[in-house]
Amino acid sequence: METFGNWLGTFEVWRLMNAFDWLWPLCEMIHFVGMALLIGSIGILDCRILGLAKGLPIARLEALVPLGIAGFVANAVTGALFIIGNPTGGPAAYLTNFAFQIKLILMVLAGINAIAFYFTGISQQMATLGPVDEAPRNAKIVAAASIALWIGVIIFGRLIMYNDTLLWFLGL
Amino acid sequence: MVQFLEMIENMGIAVWVRESPSIFAYTLVLSLHAIGLAIVVGVSAMVALRVLGRFDQIPLEPMIKLFPLMYIGFWINAVSGFLLLSTNATNMLTSTNSLFPMLTFYIKMAFVVAAVLTLRILRPRLAAGGTQQGAQGLSYALLGFWLGAIIVGRLTAYPYFVAAWLGL
Repeated sequence: METFGNWLGTFEVWRLMNAFDWLWPLCEMIHFVGMALLIGSIGILDCRILGLAKGLPIARLEALVPLGIAGFVANAVTGALFIIGNPTGGPAAYLTNFAFQIKLILMVLAGINAIAFYFTGISQQMATLGPVDEAPRNAKIVAAASIALWIGVIIFGRLIMYNDTLLWFLGL
Repeated sequence: MVQFLEMIENMGIAVWVRESPSIFAYTLVLSLHAIGLAIVVGVSAMVALRVLGRFDQIPLEPMIKLFPLMYIGFWINAVSGFLLLSTNATNMLTSTNSLFPMLTFYIKMAFVVAAVLTLRILRPRLAAGGTQQGAQGLSYALLGFWLGAIIVGRLTAYPYFVAAWLGL
């Protein structure tokens, strides 16, 4: 991980990210907007599957998903810039940050969860439900996991800057 | 004024959030503020974009049922925001030490108030189908106000940068 981080640090991107004092805050703003788009779109779909806002047909709410993916892509790009451009310690310090590692694992799990939604027939099941119908239990489990995982991603994302507090709390 | 703000800064909860090494103090409150932001801005944005004609296969009227979700996000941020403010009230609300972050903080609050008022005005128009001219304008305004709140909110964390940028 550290070797990979040092290799990433050799790119000009580090120099670029630290050459302009407005670039880092700008990327943070994009990162927050991307987060809101992801949580807004996927969160609405998840909440409806869990039984909130009945009257909205679940299958049609899936139209929000591309915007959620757009938010994710914006955050993957700005996130990669944060890693490579990390001013203190470079990419190696970022990739070995425990809070970041947990965040990454939660993102992978959220991805697997999304794949489960589309490739185990749950999404197809949603198409058969009316606007006020209750979703089946397996769909609710996937939706609840999605909300929990993305909230975890936000929490551990915020903890990256407070990694020492996290390690102290965990007794590491 | 400053005395009152110092009293807030010395409240037990403010001292705890600011000074406790616990992960449930400052760091959790900060995380809650990001979660609340994502909920209130994200759900608002989906409703606004729907009024503006995106995702038009989603029926508009039942989207009113998403408002309680937005208000959950709003209240998470009102409470977590007050706690964050209470840890540093004098610097955030007065120019005793520096013009920043006070200036950006007030501008951010203006954006938040404008966004919430816009939401309240927009809500009854969704029931009417949201097709009136007014609803479209309100939706653009809502997106703009939230974007402004995020931009200026982030800048509040960069008081020195903003001061230099404005030549102050």
